Amino acid sequence: MTELKLQKWGNITVGDELPELHLIVDQTMINNYAGSSGDVNPLHIDPEFAKTTRFGRTIAHGLLSLAFVSQILSKWNWSGWAYSGELDVVFLGPVFPGNGLHVTGKVDSIEKRDEGVFTHCTISCSSEESTVLKGTAICEIKSDEI
Amino acid sequence: MSEYVKYESLVEGDDFLVPPPAFEVTRERVDKYIQATGDTTLELQKQDESGHEIAPPMLAAVYVIEALRTRVGPPGGIHAKQQFKFHRPARIGETLYTSAKVLRLYLKKDHRYAEMTTETRNQDSELVTSGMITRIWGKED
Repeated sequence: MTELKLQKWGNITVGDELPELHLIVDQTMINNYAGSSGDVNPLHIDPEFAKTTRFGRTIAHGLLSLAFVSQILSKWNWSGWAYSGELDVVFLGPVFPGNGLHVTGKVDSIEKRDEGVFTHCTISCSSEESTVLKGTAICEIKSDEI
Repeated sequence: MSEYVKYESLVEGDDFLVPPPAFEVTRERVDKYIQATGDTTLELQKQDESGHEIAPPMLAAVYVIEALRTRVGPPGGIHAKQQFKFHRPARIGETLYTSAKVLRLYLKKDHRYAEMTTETRNQDSELVTSGMITRIWGKED
């Protein structure tokens, strides 16, 4: 298998920033995510229970942040993400209701392999100046969509 | 007291979910997820090239975790890491089956870790999503 590092492919250049997402995560959003995902752990939705935990209050589901990561990748490169995307993340800290969430990504490298051209991106979610999630995403560049 | 899976019962290489739990990809379930996550991705609002109505890729966070929740560890466990590979979006009308295998068990800084690989296939065994989850096991009584 041959691999070739590229600086640019089509409209994508190493260093490109993915479209960012800024939002406020409130308790209503957390409750709705609990309802849609089936994860009704009281840590997320029961303030009285959450007071007894080390967090002291409810926290958002870590996988809710992943939904937003997937959204910026979908917006940037739908077919590459949805049909061959790879994600590798670590959850670093909680997101509390009422806090902002900032989702960002950046193209670190572009690789030409036998099977196609792939971008490697770093992904990060931060909330109130703390990084709550970070990792990498790989997407194939399938066409001139980007 | 509800029963939970004990860490000592996990064995590297074992299948964790037997049989693989089923998840019906319904319009209602997908719409609920899209609304809860505020997803405005345009491609979700139309059929894909093969004429299917599709779900967001990260619906995987719902069907994979729902499958794993059929066998829970003790309370207080932490979802530390997650990997996903999307082979294609799930389609409305499919039934998905998620299997899981214990990959690695290890101790790190006095915490017990469990890594499991997952594979989600539809009713025709087409591969939709694969992944790996790393959990810090909760404290047992």
